[in-house]
Amino acid sequence: MTTLEGLSHGLTVALQPSVLIYSLFGALLGTLVGVLPGIGAMAAITLLLPITYYISSEAALVMLAAVYYGAQYGGAVASILLRLPGTPQSAVTTLDGYPMAQQGRAGVALFAAMVSSFAGSMLGIVILVALAGWLGRLATSFGAAEYAAMMVMGLVAASTIGEGRPAKSLSMVVLGVLLGCVGTDVNSGVQRFTFGQVQLLDGINLVALAMGLFGLAEVIGNIRKAERDGPPPHVSLRQLVPTRDDLRRMVAPIGRGTLLGGFFGALPGTGSTISSFLGYALERRVARQPERFGNGAIEGIAGPEAANNSAAITAFVPTLTLGIPGDPIMALMLGALVIHGIQPGPMMLEAHPDMFWGLVVSFGIGNLFLLVLNLPLIGLWVSMLRIPFRWLYPAIIVFVCLGVYSVRGSTFDIVMVAGIGAIGYALAVAAFSPALLLLGFVLGPLIETNLRRALLVSRGDLVTFVERPVACGFVIATAALLALPLLKGLRRRNG
Amino acid sequence: MTDLRRSLALASLLAGAFVTSAAGAQDWPAEPVHVFVGFPAGSSPDTIARLVAEPLAEAMGQPVVVENKPGAGGVIAIQQMLARGNDDYSFGININGPLTTAPRLIADLGYDPVADIAPVGLIATSPLVLAVGADFPADDVQGFIDAAAEPEAISYGSVGEGSGAHLTAELFADAAGVQLFHIPFQSYAEVTTSILGGEIDSGFMAPSAALPHVEAGTMKMLGITSAEPFAQVPDVPVLAGQAGLPDDFRAELWNAMIAPAGTDPAIVERLNAELNKILKNPEVQDRLLAMGWQAQPGTSEDLAERITDDTAMWGGVIDRTQAAN
Repeated sequence: MTTLEGLSHGLTVALQPSVLIYSLFGALLGTLVGVLPGIGAMAAITLLLPITYYISSEAALVMLAAVYYGAQYGGAVASILLRLPGTPQSAVTTLDGYPMAQQGRAGVALFAAMVSSFAGSMLGIVILVALAGWLGRLATSFGAAEYAAMMVMGLVAASTIGEGRPAKSLSMVVLGVLLGCVGTDVNSGVQRFTFGQVQLLDGINLVALAMGLFGLAEVIGNIRKAERDGPPPHVSLRQLVPTRDDLRRMVAPIGRGTLLGGFFGALPGTGSTISSFLGYALERRVARQPERFGNGAIEGIAGPEAANNSAAITAFVPTLTLGIPGDPIMALMLGALVIHGIQPGPMMLEAHPDMFWGLVVSFGIGNLFLLVLNLPLIGLWVSMLRIPFRWLYPAIIVFVCLGVYSVRGSTFDIVMVAGIGAIGYALAVAAFSPALLLLGFVLGPLIETNLRRALLVSRGDLVTFVERPVACGFVIATAALLALPLLKGLRRRNG
Repeated sequence: MTDLRRSLALASLLAGAFVTSAAGAQDWPAEPVHVFVGFPAGSSPDTIARLVAEPLAEAMGQPVVVENKPGAGGVIAIQQMLARGNDDYSFGININGPLTTAPRLIADLGYDPVADIAPVGLIATSPLVLAVGADFPADDVQGFIDAAAEPEAISYGSVGEGSGAHLTAELFADAAGVQLFHIPFQSYAEVTTSILGGEIDSGFMAPSAALPHVEAGTMKMLGITSAEPFAQVPDVPVLAGQAGLPDDFRAELWNAMIAPAGTDPAIVERLNAELNKILKNPEVQDRLLAMGWQAQPGTSEDLAERITDDTAMWGGVIDRTQAAN
């Protein structure tokens, strides 16, 4: 089946009324859970799973997929308006989205997030269709050495995203990496920093960490301001419309974010959180005026939002072409396929073309629907800012607790989020960047396990990082990233 | 509170206690039954639990609520079940690990699988296959063992130190008299990717995990750890008795239903009877097999024996691997 035949076949599948309705329902639900802090696609898909027993396999998968990419849209809303990421991957959107909202440009920031999400998804679909085979091979050709080298590069490239002095930034990255060590060590089975708490054996819950550091810390910080609880300035329609300059600034970041997200999404084990962080780091790196970042640069929204949406689409590549789920949500979707008697694997495209092409076409329809749904909602979201703090903040705390609990039904995690919130407030007061802590937390364990695994595979030979061409490329790039500021400094001194 | 109110409250409390004790096993269950599952919704232990919970609820006339309490390889769900006390309404469906090897691997487990757990019945078992990449030079177990003659020449992936995949591989290596090189991963998906990419040589995994890649011609299955050939992959030879391996070589993962120790024995018996009825239903058997699991009806004593035997067998493997490290 050629691509064109496949797409037209997929169209007949995706436009079946039952499939279409489930797709739209999934997209709507995804947006909603994305907006609600802490409650993510995982919880929604888990709840929907029993329903999938009773509907066709195409409708089931299309619905679950729509929840997954729909959640990537909603996550930015609370990040921009309240500095409260709806999902961990939108934590980075707070960095420039929230300053924009404080400058009265919340509407423009939301517009940028929605349009970048849409563009990232649509271009992600193009990447998926054009390069599915190549991306599938990429997934198996990336070994532990490549992952380790690539993640070190990511960590080095991204550790400049915070504000302030390098020592402060570095200390947050290190703290994040250390927090990532909590739990059972994969290689030895040794329990690290668990203090006899069985609840910590699987590590600290990422959602609890993100919600505590950003959401709760922000709520605590605002308690003092809450007395000045007047109605916020009126947002006129004019302020919702981006300027020509805004639009011009968004184009290149969307392109770069899409490519970056498309690449990381297709690799099992990386995914959309890493994509959005690195998307942000990339924009800051290539910017002519990096000092604008953190003060409401629209590129800082467009890049990461395009990246995480593109990653959410290409994440289906290893799942559909190899039967290998790249993250727990994808594993859940494969579970749904198995319930329907479809064995995911390399033969799926041939054995179930309806499923593959129907899903691909439904991505397009679902994303179009999400754009149409979300653009008019911007005004409504912005009006959320008019809710008095004394109503808004208790509601936020309730949602954060619900969201954290929804991850694995653990009351322990709710206590955790309270503690992390207090620490997050202390960090905010001392002007440390929580985004860097989160970055270290996400990348640290990946670097550690892959580094150790690469050395096991090579039987302890460090040459493996230079011998394997792709790994070597990442090592050179990392060295360049480290050397660049040094050279700049030298030139300044000489010049 | 006035005296009258206090005595009324006391009276109603006593009446409540009386009603509960009078109810006994005949009227059980009088309220929804809770089943604690150690893995998230959509995982295979969860799917198995739900497959059993639905007909169980129908047979008993009360809802059976599946409570997913994932974490620590199933251990958290057992702790949560025990935290509710032996109220005759809290049960668990869990895998072998938390009931056999967990006391050896987790220092602060908080329960004793023998003293604190009352076995209800085994639900299903799953063997593991020895899978290698399509390019692997050998096509059978003898060839694999020959290739592994040099210590640590052949590597294998597992889903972590102490996991079923790790211990099975070490059990196999010990029986075959070879030394394999262990590389731990976090999921079977990672192990599969690594074998496909040629990074590691082999791995023990569920037949359903390897099967799609075998059909695609990118993997080979050299043997299976069950005592009999497995219906899902009937052509894969059993390892027992082959290439010098003992005739009783067997390693299986299992799912079982358990209760807190002290649960009314009549209730355990009733549950076991219902469970066996469900597991003898051919439709349930087919659904289990499609997921790679073999239904295993049996008595609660059978499960107790399985726990004791496996604890001893895996304990021996853990002793040897820890001594080697």
